[in-house]
Order: sequence, then structure tokens, then C-alpha cells
Amino acid sequence: MDTNAEPVRRPQRLTAVLIVVALALVLAALIAMIESATRERTRRNEQAWIQQRLDVLVPPDRHDNDLLTDRIDVVSPDILGVAQPVTIYRARQSSEPVAAVFRTVAPDGYHGPIELLVAIAYDGSLLGVQVVRHKETAGLGDQFENRRTDWLPAFRGKSLSDPPQQRWSVRQDGGDFDGFTGATITPRAIVRATRRALEYYGAQRDRIFASTPPQQ
Amino acid sequence: MKNDPSTAQVWLAIALCPAIAASDTLTGALGLGVAALLACVIGALAGQLLHRLPPEPRQVGLILMLAALVTSLTLWMGAAAHELRGTLGILLPLLAVNAAIVWRGDQTSTATPGAALRMGLVSGARILAILVVLGCTREFVGRGSLLYGAGNSLGDWAGKLELQLFPADMGFLLAMLPPGAFIACGLLLAARNWITHRHELSENRRNF
Repeated sequence: MDTNAEPVRRPQRLTAVLIVVALALVLAALIAMIESATRERTRRNEQAWIQQRLDVLVPPDRHDNDLLTDRIDVVSPDILGVAQPVTIYRARQSSEPVAAVFRTVAPDGYHGPIELLVAIAYDGSLLGVQVVRHKETAGLGDQFENRRTDWLPAFRGKSLSDPPQQRWSVRQDGGDFDGFTGATITPRAIVRATRRALEYYGAQRDRIFASTPPQQ
Repeated sequence: MKNDPSTAQVWLAIALCPAIAASDTLTGALGLGVAALLACVIGALAGQLLHRLPPEPRQVGLILMLAALVTSLTLWMGAAAHELRGTLGILLPLLAVNAAIVWRGDQTSTATPGAALRMGLVSGARILAILVVLGCTREFVGRGSLLYGAGNSLGDWAGKLELQLFPADMGFLLAMLPPGAFIACGLLLAARNWITHRHELSENRRNF
């Protein structure tokens, strides 16, 4: 602000405050309008986005229910390792359980949480693991995306008994899973979160599928 | 740049800092560049509009306006380009810095609406151009591709434009990492200085 300006008189200051308040109100109204105009589109985008990933993990011909509506939210910081609720999508064929997809989080990524989809078949074997959102270092932590495209598919068919529970970690920690060159923390976080989802599934399978699908 | 090249360059460098994080692929660079162009144009117009206000509420008003602008931009992107918003994440709100710099650096407050529009366009286009050059270079050197992930971010039509020129394994990793952004940016600045300098040299020669 210009220090040579004459001292602000009271009425002027009042006008200034009124102008700022009026501007804030107008802008707030504008944002509210834009929010309500885009809310539906954004929600549909979000759903299509997650549906696309679910379809890859549990092919649409394997189930006849709508995964996006047949879901439950569970909170289990002890087993799943995250404080916030984890959504579980349930796939059923003629009301018989087929698979459960955990939308869980690996909280210990190198650059914050890694959001994962962990699909587990009814018998407890993995259908697949997908990374849906992450902020891992480009070129090092994100090797599952480009350099090591075979890394995530390797989870398919694994279960709590294969490999045995004590070898459910990356090779550096004496486990069966490959790490990445130059990035240990990312694969370790993903393996750990996957194991945790499997452990939760093993302990709670009946309860996961028992609760009736919510009414739409 | 005409009046005071050194100041303008400093402002441009500050404006680029948050933005170059998105330039590890051409797709991200394009997305953020276009968003920056929009933010600069609307920000410059908003600054011009506020010029009619007395000076006391003007600063606060500008901050309010820019905050509203980037919030709206983020909301709109969620509806129009959902995947891209996921990629750009925190960088979108940071565009407020770019928009504020256009206004401060170029004294848009004293200009006519037309001049403000032009200044916003020029500044935004400058940022877009730099991001695109950085994005092309870093992606090509770092992973041997162009427009990687465009199909996911921009739609299926863009997926057809994805190019893989040599295997990603052979890429020069440093170019993808944050230091690569600064190195590329420094090289770009050096090239720009060299071109300006060469121009001056030949002019001097003509004078003598």
C-alpha cells in the first residue's frame, strides 16, 4: 500500500469493508452456482472412472449385480491399517458371492497414501491389484505403470497361504515379491496393503458378504 | 518484456515454479498450460475490473477474485476433464499465483480492458509455450514417448496420438525427475539469452 497516501478516513474505511463483503458474497454465490451445475457431471465421471477399473478386475460377465451400489464401508484400523473407512464392492452371480473388491489405501507410500483396488475372489485368492491414485516419484516409485508392467499382474492368484504369510513382503525384507530398482518404499507399501486386505477378508469373509445389498 | 526485461523474467520464473512440476509428460504440460492460459486471461480481466474500486479494497478483492477463479476452474475440470484433474491435483489451485503475477507484473490495473485481455493472453500463452517445450523434451528424453497417458486424461481421441519412439526402459530417468525440470528450464533460459544476445551483437555491428 502507498505510504504517502492520506490517512484513511472512517467513512472510506466503511465503504472499503462493504465493498469487500459484497464482493465475497457475489463470488461465493458464483462458486455455489458452478458447484451445483458441475456436481452431477463430476459424480458420474467419478463413477464411470471407478467402474472402468472394477470391470478390469472383475469382468462384467462374472457377476450380475451392480458393484457400485452393492457395497459396504468398513472401518478397521487394526487390520487394514487405515483410520478412514474402506469401501468394499461385492460381486455376486445369481446372489452367490463371487468376489470382493477393496478400495483401500497404502498409507506408507513414499509421497503419501497410494490408493489401491484389491480384488479378492470368494475362495480368498487375488483377482488383481490396481493402483488408482498415487503421487510416487516419476520414474522410480511409479515403475508399476511403465517399466515394470508385469509387477501388478503378478499378484493374480496369490493368497494368504501362497506365499506363506511370513513371506508376504518384498525381497529386501525376506519376502517373495520383487522390489523396484531405486525404490523400496513404494512396492513395500503396496504389498503390505494388499496383505492387509487379504487378512481382513480371511477374518471377515462371511460378514462382508452377509449384509444385504443396500436398497437403491 | 519490452519495458523491463529482467523484472519480467523474474516474474516469469516465479510463475513457472509450481507449473513445471506438471511438465514431466506432454499431456500434463498441455493440460496445465491451457488451465494457466485461462487463469491468466480471466485473472487479468478481473484485475482490470477491480481498478474502478478505491485502492484499499482492491488488494483484498483481487485475492478473493483469484481464489474464486481457481476454485471454479477446479470444479469445472472435475466435470469436463475428470482424469486430468486427478493428474494435476494440487497444481490447479496454485495457478492463482500465475494469475496474480500477470496482474502485478504487467500493471494491468491501469490498462484498458482490451490491453488487459492482451496481456493475459500473452502471459498465458508464454507459460503454455514453455510448458509444452519442457513437456516434449522431458517426456522424449525421459521415457521415449510423446503424449503418454493422453488417452486416459483427454479422451479416446487423444489416445490415438500417443507415440512411443523408443522403449521406455532406455529413457534418461533424470529428465523425468524434478531436477530434470529445473535443468531443462535452465537450458531453455540459456537458449533464450543466447538468442537475445546474438540479436544485440548483430545490431551493434550494424551501428559501427
